Amino acid sequence: MIHRKGTIGRCTTMNISKKWRFIFLLPATALFLFVYAVPVATLIGTSFTEWIVASEPVFIGIDNYIELFSDEEFLQATWNTIIWMFLQSTIHIAIGVMLALILARKKFYWKFTRTVFMLPNIISSAAVGMLFVLLLNPSFGAVNSVLTQLGFTDLPNWFMSRETSFISVTMTWLPYAGIVTILLMAEMTSLSDSIMEAAIMDGATEMQKNIYIVLPLTKTIIGTTTILGATSMLQKLDLVMMTTKGAPGNMTMNLPLYVYNTAFIANDFGLANTSGVLMIILGLVAVAIINRIYKTENHYY
Amino acid sequence: MKGKKSIIKGLIIKALIFVFITAIIIISLGPLLWVFVSSFKTNREILSGGLGLPSVFSFKNYIDALTIAPIPQFYFNSIIVSIVATVGNVFLLSMAAYTIARFDWKYNGFFTMMFSVGLLIPGAALLQPLYQTMTTAHLNDSLTGLIIIYMAFGLPSTIYIMRSYFKTIPREMEESAYMDGSGFFRTFVSIILPIAKPALGTAAILEFLLCWNEFQFALSLTSSNSKRTLPIALYYFKSQFASNYGAMFAATIMVVVPSIFVYIALQEQVVSGLAAGAVKG
Repeated sequence: MIHRKGTIGRCTTMNISKKWRFIFLLPATALFLFVYAVPVATLIGTSFTEWIVASEPVFIGIDNYIELFSDEEFLQATWNTIIWMFLQSTIHIAIGVMLALILARKKFYWKFTRTVFMLPNIISSAAVGMLFVLLLNPSFGAVNSVLTQLGFTDLPNWFMSRETSFISVTMTWLPYAGIVTILLMAEMTSLSDSIMEAAIMDGATEMQKNIYIVLPLTKTIIGTTTILGATSMLQKLDLVMMTTKGAPGNMTMNLPLYVYNTAFIANDFGLANTSGVLMIILGLVAVAIINRIYKTENHYY
Repeated sequence: MKGKKSIIKGLIIKALIFVFITAIIIISLGPLLWVFVSSFKTNREILSGGLGLPSVFSFKNYIDALTIAPIPQFYFNSIIVSIVATVGNVFLLSMAAYTIARFDWKYNGFFTMMFSVGLLIPGAALLQPLYQTMTTAHLNDSLTGLIIIYMAFGLPSTIYIMRSYFKTIPREMEESAYMDGSGFFRTFVSIILPIAKPALGTAAILEFLLCWNEFQFALSLTSSNSKRTLPIALYYFKSQFASNYGAMFAATIMVVVPSIFVYIALQEQVVSGLAAGAVKG
């Protein structure tokens, strides 16, 4: 028992530490290098080259960047991605926050609602895409069945018509803010009771409590979920691929799909990697802006 | 007068909340339920539209889905990839997380930073470079390639969850183990990991869901049906068997059911894991 906190224990740790420290960090570091560091370096390096599949990359300076900024498809993809990031950071977060505020009162239905609301976030987004393809099918989809019952006629082909395609793709993710709700509820239940009691003593209504106490105290986590959400818009290849593939025209094109098409359909690796670089920059800018608004810096890293 | 007004106001707010909650439940559960019910309908019943129940509950669509597309193969691949990647991810990354949590040395900050950088890099940007790396390593169109990539994509969250948990374990645990003559690795495996079971569980569930649901790399890094995973099955259906709607419904249900079971069964751990992982971003 005497040794338990004694020097011998620590000495042993010190002596074996170097070898084991190396061995223990090796797999994670290797994974990091293999899947993040080297690809990002490749991305940056080859973004300055003309590189069509099966040939060697040839240095062409910033030509790819110039080409992208005059490519309508790329500009449309970027614009759509930015709009989606914005909608995600506003409407999506608003839905999640509102539901968290309601459910935090722990009514009988809160756990059921919480569970149900999480389901679309838990299943693969390819499946969510498929659900909506079936749901919005012009001949047998549930949405059209209901609308026809209600007396609507001349319903559009939701994913394929120019007027409705963008909003249809948006609807496949916009209502599902389950993660926001869950994270916020976790934070809200950890707020100290004494603050709440003090507020009630001061005669604050439910609404005042939420606006002046709960929301400011959970600002950081709201900021974090906004970052998570906005950056997830740079990952929405599956939803677009399953629903519209960017059609009609480039109405629903987004950056991940642009990168995929450029790399694997057009086989233009140089250009694909240039758009990859710009996509990472867009993500970093979004994170910086959201950090700024919510002042989450300290907690983010 | 004032009392009456506030009662009315309260009722209106209650009604609005009721409508909001109902809407949330309908949009979250409605599509899933509709697809589930429709998956038992005949093609004719499906095409006639409507929200009703099938006249006879038939499993024909499921049998179709399993026979016309290589869904059993995709299922098998998904299981292999998800299990191997999850075990590898939590074990190998726990080692790193443990090192960061335990040793006080000058590079700790560097490693912590390095491992969280992954969060800021969208996977889709890396499609071509990873395709290139995998081709060079002869891991293209192989389950091994997918496993390595999935292990790495769970890196930031697993390291974060495990590191936070290891920090709560008192150092005396290891020290007494060393006193009893246990080596560093053995102490880690037989003392530390068992203590960290709750965190391991959380990290494992999140990693499993990530692997089970991943689409873009499964699509771009595999080409033969013998190597593809379940989310691709849906894409396959949509492009190749666009007219067999019944099978499409059935396939969708088969893809989502495992995720839903994992989530419902292990809800509390998923939730606490998300909360832990999100502080990081």
